Amino acid sequence: MESISRISSLLETARDLTLEAARDAGPRKSTRPLPAPQIKKLLDSRQEREVLDGLRRVIAMQYANPPQATLTFFPTVLKTLSHPYPSTRPLVYNYLIHHAELDPDTALLSINTIQKSLSDRNPRVRAMALKTMAGIRVPVISQIVSLAIKKGVSDLSPLVRKAAALACVKCVRLDETTRPQVEEYLAVLLADKQYYVAGAAVQAFMEVCGTERLDLIHPAYRRLCRMVVDMDEWGQLALLKLMTVYARRCFPRRTKRTKRAQTQEQKAQDFYEDLEPEAQQENEADYEETEIPDPDLTLFLTSIHPLLQSRNSAVIVAVARAYLYLSPTAHLPQAIGPLIALLRSPQDIQQVALHNIVQVCLAQPAHFASYYRHFLIRSTEPPQTRGLKLEVLTLIFPSCSPDIQSLLLAELEHFSRSPEDPALVRDSVKAIGRCAQSPNPATSRRCLSLLLSQLHSSDDNLVGEAMQVIRHLIQRSPAEHRKTVVRLARNLDHLTSATARAGVVWLVGEFAYATGEDGGGGVAADVWRILVKGYVGEGEEVRGQIVGLGAKVYLRWLNWRKADGQVADDPEGAVKHEGESNGGDLPSSRSAVDGNDDGEVRGFREDAFADQSPTDQPEHHRQQQQQKKERPHPIELLYQHTLLLARYTPSYHLRDRARFYRALLGTPSSTELASLLLLAPKPVPQAPSPSESRRSYLLGSASLIVGEGLRGEVGERGAGLPEWVEEGREPDPGLRDEKGEERGEYVGERERDSKGLGGMSAGERLDGVLAAGGGAGAKRGKTLDAWLNDDEEEEADESEESGGGSSGEGTSSEEETETEESESEEDEDAGLVR
Amino acid sequence: MSAIEAVYIFDEHNNLLLTHTYTARPAPPSILLPLYLQHAAPRPSVLYFPSLHPPTVLYSITQDNLLFLSPSSFSSASPATTAEPLLVLEFLHRVADALEEFLGSPLLAVKIAAHYDIVAQVLAEVADAGVVCQGEANALRDVVETGPGVLNNLLGKVGLPGSAGVPGLQGGARGPLSSIGSSGSGGGAGGGGLQRPGSGLQALQPAQTAQGTAIPWRRSNVRHTSNELYVDIVETLSVTLAPSGRPLAAFAYGSIAFTCKVSGVPDLLLSLSTGGKGAGMGNRGDQLRAVMERTVFHPCVRLGRWKSEGVLSFVPPDGRFALCGYEVDLLGPEAPLTVGKNTYGSLGLPAGVEVTTGLGSSANDFEVRLTQPTTSGGGGSAATASLQSNLSGGSGPGSRSGSFKPGPGSGDSKAPSLENLTVRVPLPAAVRNVTELRPSRGEARWNPADGSVEWKVAAKDFGPLGAVLRCTIQGPPAADGDDAGAELNGMTATTYDYNDDEPSSAYQTQDSQEKRSNGAPEPVSREARVERSRELMPTSATLSFGVKGWLASGLKVESLLLDNKKSRGLGQEVKPYKGVKYLTVSREGIELRC
Repeated sequence: MESISRISSLLETARDLTLEAARDAGPRKSTRPLPAPQIKKLLDSRQEREVLDGLRRVIAMQYANPPQATLTFFPTVLKTLSHPYPSTRPLVYNYLIHHAELDPDTALLSINTIQKSLSDRNPRVRAMALKTMAGIRVPVISQIVSLAIKKGVSDLSPLVRKAAALACVKCVRLDETTRPQVEEYLAVLLADKQYYVAGAAVQAFMEVCGTERLDLIHPAYRRLCRMVVDMDEWGQLALLKLMTVYARRCFPRRTKRTKRAQTQEQKAQDFYEDLEPEAQQENEADYEETEIPDPDLTLFLTSIHPLLQSRNSAVIVAVARAYLYLSPTAHLPQAIGPLIALLRSPQDIQQVALHNIVQVCLAQPAHFASYYRHFLIRSTEPPQTRGLKLEVLTLIFPSCSPDIQSLLLAELEHFSRSPEDPALVRDSVKAIGRCAQSPNPATSRRCLSLLLSQLHSSDDNLVGEAMQVIRHLIQRSPAEHRKTVVRLARNLDHLTSATARAGVVWLVGEFAYATGEDGGGGVAADVWRILVKGYVGEGEEVRGQIVGLGAKVYLRWLNWRKADGQVADDPEGAVKHEGESNGGDLPSSRSAVDGNDDGEVRGFREDAFADQSPTDQPEHHRQQQQQKKERPHPIELLYQHTLLLARYTPSYHLRDRARFYRALLGTPSSTELASLLLLAPKPVPQAPSPSESRRSYLLGSASLIVGEGLRGEVGERGAGLPEWVEEGREPDPGLRDEKGEERGEYVGERERDSKGLGGMSAGERLDGVLAAGGGAGAKRGKTLDAWLNDDEEEEADESEESGGGSSGEGTSSEEETETEESESEEDEDAGLVR
Repeated sequence: MSAIEAVYIFDEHNNLLLTHTYTARPAPPSILLPLYLQHAAPRPSVLYFPSLHPPTVLYSITQDNLLFLSPSSFSSASPATTAEPLLVLEFLHRVADALEEFLGSPLLAVKIAAHYDIVAQVLAEVADAGVVCQGEANALRDVVETGPGVLNNLLGKVGLPGSAGVPGLQGGARGPLSSIGSSGSGGGAGGGGLQRPGSGLQALQPAQTAQGTAIPWRRSNVRHTSNELYVDIVETLSVTLAPSGRPLAAFAYGSIAFTCKVSGVPDLLLSLSTGGKGAGMGNRGDQLRAVMERTVFHPCVRLGRWKSEGVLSFVPPDGRFALCGYEVDLLGPEAPLTVGKNTYGSLGLPAGVEVTTGLGSSANDFEVRLTQPTTSGGGGSAATASLQSNLSGGSGPGSRSGSFKPGPGSGDSKAPSLENLTVRVPLPAAVRNVTELRPSRGEARWNPADGSVEWKVAAKDFGPLGAVLRCTIQGPPAADGDDAGAELNGMTATTYDYNDDEPSSAYQTQDSQEKRSNGAPEPVSREARVERSRELMPTSATLSFGVKGWLASGLKVESLLLDNKKSRGLGQEVKPYKGVKYLTVSREGIELRC
């Protein structure tokens, strides 16, 4: 949810801002610095106002930039602790925590005074004293702090107990040896009945013990699960993190093989074909593994469900994490909508949320398919956001309906044509490429034709990127794309992007040989012939590919001649042999070279002649068709010519490459080594989703956002959660049983019985108040309602004083009715239970 | 688990304003700021600096031009003690909110500098030794000691009525809302309260009450002399239009901001109605939930009541807070992708935008058209119709006795007012200049710095006929066709052809490519021109506006009841003044692709 200040900024106009700025920019009296002696004098004053003023100045000096020396005031400031003014105390404590480390000896002087405040009548004063004492970073007092915590743990006021929980963290940080004592205190605090004490205790537990000492959690587990709705967001976060680990360690994953839900047809079939039931049961596919979750795990998973409506994005992601890693089938779908809702949060949170959405999407893309509209890209978004949205779009692409798929493709196409942002172009083209990997052949054909059409664009960047992706697609399944390669080769006439041209030439060299296998190299040879003519005008990248293409065609030709010689002198035999080895499509490919069915090849050959300038080998084409044994084969001639061209290339690299080919293919009889080098099958390039590499990182972690395993998040075992505990090695579930006498003290107990804990919030309890009637306040563990009650009594008194006696009556009568209501509720509950 | 190590606040000139260290020894701001600024804007909110020792992740948010940084180092010996990114970011937002609660909105550098003592207390209270322990700005009021002097100073800034601090909150924009509920008769009382100086808040009341607050999000002992309740519903539009004008996605992101100034512990019941949408499906709650999707709530809202009855029942914090966030799919949940049904008009928005590119003799022009969409065949809701009749009525002279002027004074729910109508057209970087800007209304400006055309139309000029802006674009000089130069380059390149020099060969390679691309056919045909200028044409246009007194979703506040029976500390006779404000804004939220 947007923070209130952002919403306010929408409501207020810019004019108001400037007005206010002008008013506030005026000089302020209180900020004028005073000399040190004068401040000391203020601090020594007996008047509250003056002391406060002095303290404010000291604090301001401490925070000012550049910071000013304030250590000299230490004794004077400490002296003010003896004043009973409530207004000065927080400032003194603040000063003390800040300076204690710099002057430990002086700080120790204050311990006595603070200890006295630990037994003040006002619980807030006690809490603040405890907090301050633990905050003093002087290791010698660690035992005193530990004692103070011990006292705080059993304090009547939950405020103090909360402070005690938080002090545990500081105490262990101060002195590691106090850990055993602190763990004891935490065990007590975790069992506290007051939800915000328990929340703070969980936070402290995570800080102190991390995910060790889970044995402390067992007795409090069920209570904590029930209280999680009422805790504050930070307690919820800690609890979610803790319980996710706890569940993995303590609940073994039990699965049961059950029969898959049958369709109507199958049922009918079963009905009529019950003669052979054995055959049916053998079928593995009819069964699926269903989880049998532990009831305690289910308790946790259902009790965190209301948290999905939290305003805190971290809580929502933490719930999604618990669902993703603990119950991906049963519960995760409920978390998808709330995750989507995070997209409307402020920019900074939105980015992080998107990283997390991508992570969930990698695991379960189908859940996001219906939310495709939320991931449409907007031109005003920062590049990181766009990249992530594109990724989600491609991930959900396979699970969308054809209508939506075409919309998404149009979307990607639109953004591949945004000249001002090369990164976006690259991302969108790659996204189209990933979409093309869809198992549905119709869609992948569509993506490919989209990419092919992009080759005609005048944006070199786009063409280059598109070519790259096309190359990857063709490499993945070359057999399907023979014609595509020929079509690409035809594009060489007008392709201008050097990267794209080089890519086409490479593809021709790799995959075009099969189309014209007459020993002459087919289209590849012809492409080569035409390219060589324009060699001078090509860029270095393309030249290198032309030389490589030449070497490959020449090598194939050599191989063919060798095989030809071995099998028979008869050209028919050679043709037959080639036909067999290449899938038997020889006749058509033969005709592809000079025939009528493949206009493209013919077309580009004619083009080649049309723009042919006076060339040095005008007779090659003819020669190729009527091979004459007495003259050197045109391929050989062409190869020699290419090497000659490469030899006089300015580029070292290319000359070197040419020398290498010359040596490699020097002896036409031995081509094994060359075949190994040049004709080796190339590894299929992988184009995984960009975030695939982050898959191992935990949802919601910083590693996931940064993309690197960070120390502290990635242990030796890896980045994720612990594995599910093996069956039989888990702790005894009986450990989680609560003692009977505690029942009924916390309102939550009642709810559990009525199974209504799902949608309860703190406010909800307020209605259901007073099952325990007015007596609840007297009990030791005060609930929210009890507090309300107290307040109500106070209020009633006060309003009577002010002459409003009616309200007192009102509340008492209301109390009666509410008690009645809750009684009837209890009856219902009882009915449910029995 | 989640220790916040420090918070650094910088002012708008990136001068350090405040350093508050919670725990450990985080990297100092003087080191972090340059590293942060190294990143090109827009900077991501989570940055990782592995070069620092220890390696540090830096979290950042910007609020009211102030920059909040929080480092988080990854050296800690104990595993699993790293902060989660969202936790830190949320925490920083809460800090900003809390500071605003105490120092007033907007947060300004001078205010922080003048009240270091309060800021220090707030920062110390929200997290204890780095463990976040209090996120509720309002509850902090119980513990943060503002002292006798400061409170008076601050009164103007905490959003109390009567001060000049928040004019936006008290202008005539809010109607007295006589239509709300049965108990909404507090108009007179509220009017009196408006001008009252804030002395009602007992200045010297000690903040530290003996008891803890009963409700974690509400400070205790709230006293107000004038009891007031305000509901502000703000919807932010996010609409994406295909080049044909068909909406691809249309969302309204809504937030309900609530201002509660009622003594004691009030128990409130807010009922919303959908304004006719989703009729005929289930009860009122179902209808409402069908419209308000993916809701999130302030912890005070009773989720059970929302689930069962579709009403918001809550005990609010004191002061101003965000009650609820939701989103509305303006296209409807199961909108088909067919052209016929979903037109822009059916969204019922007060203004639309169309762009036509490639106009003029050399296809160098484009035209932006601002339109008032007509609701086709009653597709729009009643609210839309009334809005449009009001808009056209309002823009006519003399209607409503001449009081209908854009400004803070207008725009209650009876007469919605459109304002800040702005169209922004970003142009590709290749565009050198926009030579001609011809708006039929309003003012248009070409901003070379960010490469966009901005066109503002005053609401009173925007009638049913709409408005048109025509621009002529000038591309890079190469496009003017100096083929001779390219040819020359090509020749130079050939002279270097036999030079072995590596760099010059690279140069040559480049040139030959350039020749390839620039050596276009000499007679520049119109097609080629169109082709070339197409790259200079805008690919998107965004429309911004604000409408007061109207919501895109059609939601309405039906009633706001104060449950006198459940509330405490509020006399039976007290009838709080209630106000409702609706606002729909589009901040570059309507985007047209072209």
